[in-house]
Amino acid sequence: MTTSTLNRPQLIWRALVLPAALVVLWSLLDAFGALNGDIIVSPLQVLKTSYEGFADGSIPGATIATLLRALVGWTIGASIGLAFGVLIGLSGVARGLFDPSIASLRQIALFAWIPLLSAWFGNGEVMKITLIALGAFFPMALGAQAGCQNVPAPFREVGRVLELDRRATLTKIVFPAAIPSILAGLELSLNIAWLGTFGAEYLIGTGYINGMGDGLGAYLAAAREYARMDQVLLGVLFLALIGVALDRLVIGFSRRLIPWRMP
Amino acid sequence: MADALTLSRPKTVEVGSVQISDVSKTFRVEGRTVHALDDVSLAIASGEFISIVGPSGCGKSTLLRFLAGLDGPDSGRIAVDGEVIDRPSLKRGIVFQDHRLLPWFSVEKNIALSLHSLAGSEAEKRERVQYLIDLVGLSGFEKALPHELSGGMSQRAAIARGLAPRPPLLLLDEPLGALDSLTRSYLQDELLAIWEREKSTVVMVTHDVEEAIYLSDRVVVMEPRPGRIAKIFEVSGKRPRHRDDPDFVTIRREITDLLAHRRD
Repeated sequence: MTTSTLNRPQLIWRALVLPAALVVLWSLLDAFGALNGDIIVSPLQVLKTSYEGFADGSIPGATIATLLRALVGWTIGASIGLAFGVLIGLSGVARGLFDPSIASLRQIALFAWIPLLSAWFGNGEVMKITLIALGAFFPMALGAQAGCQNVPAPFREVGRVLELDRRATLTKIVFPAAIPSILAGLELSLNIAWLGTFGAEYLIGTGYINGMGDGLGAYLAAAREYARMDQVLLGVLFLALIGVALDRLVIGFSRRLIPWRMP
Repeated sequence: MADALTLSRPKTVEVGSVQISDVSKTFRVEGRTVHALDDVSLAIASGEFISIVGPSGCGKSTLLRFLAGLDGPDSGRIAVDGEVIDRPSLKRGIVFQDHRLLPWFSVEKNIALSLHSLAGSEAEKRERVQYLIDLVGLSGFEKALPHELSGGMSQRAAIARGLAPRPPLLLLDEPLGALDSLTRSYLQDELLAIWEREKSTVVMVTHDVEEAIYLSDRVVVMEPRPGRIAKIFEVSGKRPRHRDDPDFVTIRREITDLLAHRRD
């Protein structure tokens, strides 16, 4: 890896080069009057809107609502996914029963569930959480299954020659060997849950129509409806920032949890 | 089974004798039948150090896996102290070429895992683990993870894991094969010292003829297609042996000639 020669601050600076260049370009275009105000507003305007958004509490409020929703949906979906994945990964009978169905259901795009789920659960919170959980479920189940199923044969043989019973084989060999794959599933499921949360907020029962939606998705939907490009840009910016932060958090957690290296 | 082993005391009765009678095994490889082992018989006495050498495909590793109980023959019988092998057992320790330490456990925990299924107090087991860590020269690396160890150190840890349950029979599958020559000859002496102290029967598969003569009481030369025993050489010289002794040189030439001749 070439990046290993750079230290952390250097990497962070390097990562900021492109965004900074874009902001500069954006400001320059604005300064020369090249921006069409109906489609894109100046960086200063976005900054001002963000100040107002913080002052009146709309931005923090929407962010917290979205975060909470994402975390609740993710926790539910990933927990069920983990349990299911481990079960299918360990038991041939369970695999035969569930694997084909799960593999088929996984092919359905997340937002294609909306018509069905809204018919069952309405357009409220239950529906949104279900959609997010559903999105989180599949990658988590898949990761856990793959991890439990693909324990390297040499390690399984070690368990056999050391006469480990089933319990010890699971706790000392199978689960540790599965952890990297489980964590990869966890990361991906958070990713999907975050995307699903925005989709749920944006597409289902948004606030400006019936007043029952909140979160960054509803904020964006309203901004778009009222042609507030400053708010649209701000909402998108926040979605990206929080998504990246969540991702980093989970990756940092995974690194700490696996101090070992596979041979 | 496993609890018949004792951790603290050396063995007093003569155990670890092996009887291999008329063992055959065929594999199907890409639609063709391969005779991995054809009617192999061999008796190994308790406390003996036996090496098996031969070109790849001669069935030496297959035979070792049978002894470990990881696989079984199509026909024939393999017994240790009269008991037919039908599955792996802690009475037969095995050290693989690719050390196979569990990457998520420290050296200490890897070795302790081989005592997990044995009877005995935690204190007793801890003491045994520490004894082995000292024996293989890994003191100070108890808490190290496998990826932090060199190849030689990993192999020592693997040997300690194989020895920990005091198996009457120790199986070594090219245990030093992946090491540089210096580490290798050093570990050969270590292996001898350990064998003399633990008094286990040792069956070692190797492709290094010199290593086999240096360590063993007998060297079994195998040949492929079908896998069988070509000849068994008695090595009589007292240990430690010297690689330039006339006897050593003679037997080495005989074995290498035999291997070269059979290779065609």
